[in-house]
Amino acid sequence: MTRTGKVLMFAVPVAAATAATVAAKSRAKRTDHQRRHVITIYRPLSELESEQLPGSLREITGDVEITLRPAPGDRGTEIAVRIPEGSKITEGQVRAALRETRSLLETGDVLLPSGPATTVKTLTNRPLQTATRHGREGGLL
Amino acid sequence: MKALQWQGVNKLAVGTVPDPELRNPGDIIVRVTKTVTCGSDLHLLGGYIPFMEKGDVLGHEFLGEVVEVGPDVRNHRIGDRVVVSSFISCGNCWYCDQKLYSLCDNGNTNPAITETLWGHAPSGCFGYSHAMGGNAGSHAEYIRVPFADVGAFAVPEGVSDERALFASDSASTGWMGADLGGVQSGDVVAVWGAGAVGQMAARAAMLLGADRVIVIDRLPNRLQQVERHIGAETLNFETTDVAGELRERSGGRGPDVCIEAVGMEAHSRGYDQLKQQLRLQTDRPVAVRDAIHACRKGGSVFVLGVYAGFVDKFPLGALMNKGLTVRGAQMHGQRYIPMLLDRMAKGELVTEHLATHVMPLDEAPEGYRMFKEKDDDCVRAVFCP
Repeated sequence: MTRTGKVLMFAVPVAAATAATVAAKSRAKRTDHQRRHVITIYRPLSELESEQLPGSLREITGDVEITLRPAPGDRGTEIAVRIPEGSKITEGQVRAALRETRSLLETGDVLLPSGPATTVKTLTNRPLQTATRHGREGGLL
Repeated sequence: MKALQWQGVNKLAVGTVPDPELRNPGDIIVRVTKTVTCGSDLHLLGGYIPFMEKGDVLGHEFLGEVVEVGPDVRNHRIGDRVVVSSFISCGNCWYCDQKLYSLCDNGNTNPAITETLWGHAPSGCFGYSHAMGGNAGSHAEYIRVPFADVGAFAVPEGVSDERALFASDSASTGWMGADLGGVQSGDVVAVWGAGAVGQMAARAAMLLGADRVIVIDRLPNRLQQVERHIGAETLNFETTDVAGELRERSGGRGPDVCIEAVGMEAHSRGYDQLKQQLRLQTDRPVAVRDAIHACRKGGSVFVLGVYAGFVDKFPLGALMNKGLTVRGAQMHGQRYIPMLLDRMAKGELVTEHLATHVMPLDEAPEGYRMFKEKDDDCVRAVFCP
């Protein structure tokens, strides 16, 4: 079998499964656009209430609705964000902001990718490079 | 600097790439002195995990010398000899607090892919595709290590590089399988796969008090290593009825704990090969099926082998009706490495025999060919950048 054939043999089923999952999620999303984005931060609510939320979540505070409540079982604090109708804030911005905020509150820092890059742009890796540039904006959060 | 780069499916080359930089204040830069192939790399090499880019640097199991430290690093100084956990973990999130380090919430800079595919994202790993953070790997002269105070460990004097190297991943993974698989004193434990991880899982089971440990493979040289260096029993699945033999050796009960250390490219003929050729499954779960079938009622199966996608004919009926506990994980190295280094220093855990082929980094493409084809009885190829 050719090298391209081998790539397709394994890449296609994984890509198809990923695409099916994304399609199912996006179908669900169309009927569920009011759902909040929620993340749990491993810090007690009492600590977070006494300080300002850091990072990009603070920057969008005026454009979204943010609520904090204690997580059960000493798991920390649940931060929920709802994007109001007509807000200019995107779901990707909210996901990235929540992830950055969690990292800042838990570790004091946000991990940066390796660098400088060792990869080269090719026709076939362009979609993957685009996806990884927005790695904290995507997903299910 | 020189590095081994993924250039495409089954295509590797040593090239020149920029030196790594400190990117976060908790980073260190390590000059890699030993770095080793892993069976899970073959999934990347063969295109089974299609999240690689041309030019990515491979390698996640390594040891070296600290040459640069970030301003927030407290536990390491320039010149320290360190072994590094293959998974990158912050040490502060809920998962790290539970010692489930490979599930860290803050160690993967690119959680979208795995979150979409699996529901939640595991942490990042060195040299293991952009699904795991796209971190540059260790088959290079230098590597950046984030969260160094959490993931890098000083190697005690008296423990050789050749021994400590395997604490980075193989020994941690194997120990985790026996530990979280719940091995107890008096247990009968079966381990599928006599590669480095399987051998380490077998040794861990023995040290945790198992009464009998039986390792299953088809390669005579690996089974000989198990008998000689690990001290466990062996079964060759090409010449033995494994299920019958395991029943007989466990008083008809079946093994209490079954550890699968094979992964998605299990040796197989017939059904799974056909399914693969028809592109109807990505992973070949041959050893997992056997482990679930062989395990005693109410026993435990731990999946150490790496899987990426979907499998067919998973024996859910056996799992449910026999009351099994099935568990799996990428390795929580930070949980085990200090203890493993201590046991290595005492001589309880030996690993040097795993490094069957030691070579300069320039020869890494040939090292991977030998490793993949198991040429010249290769168990692991170790590179010295």
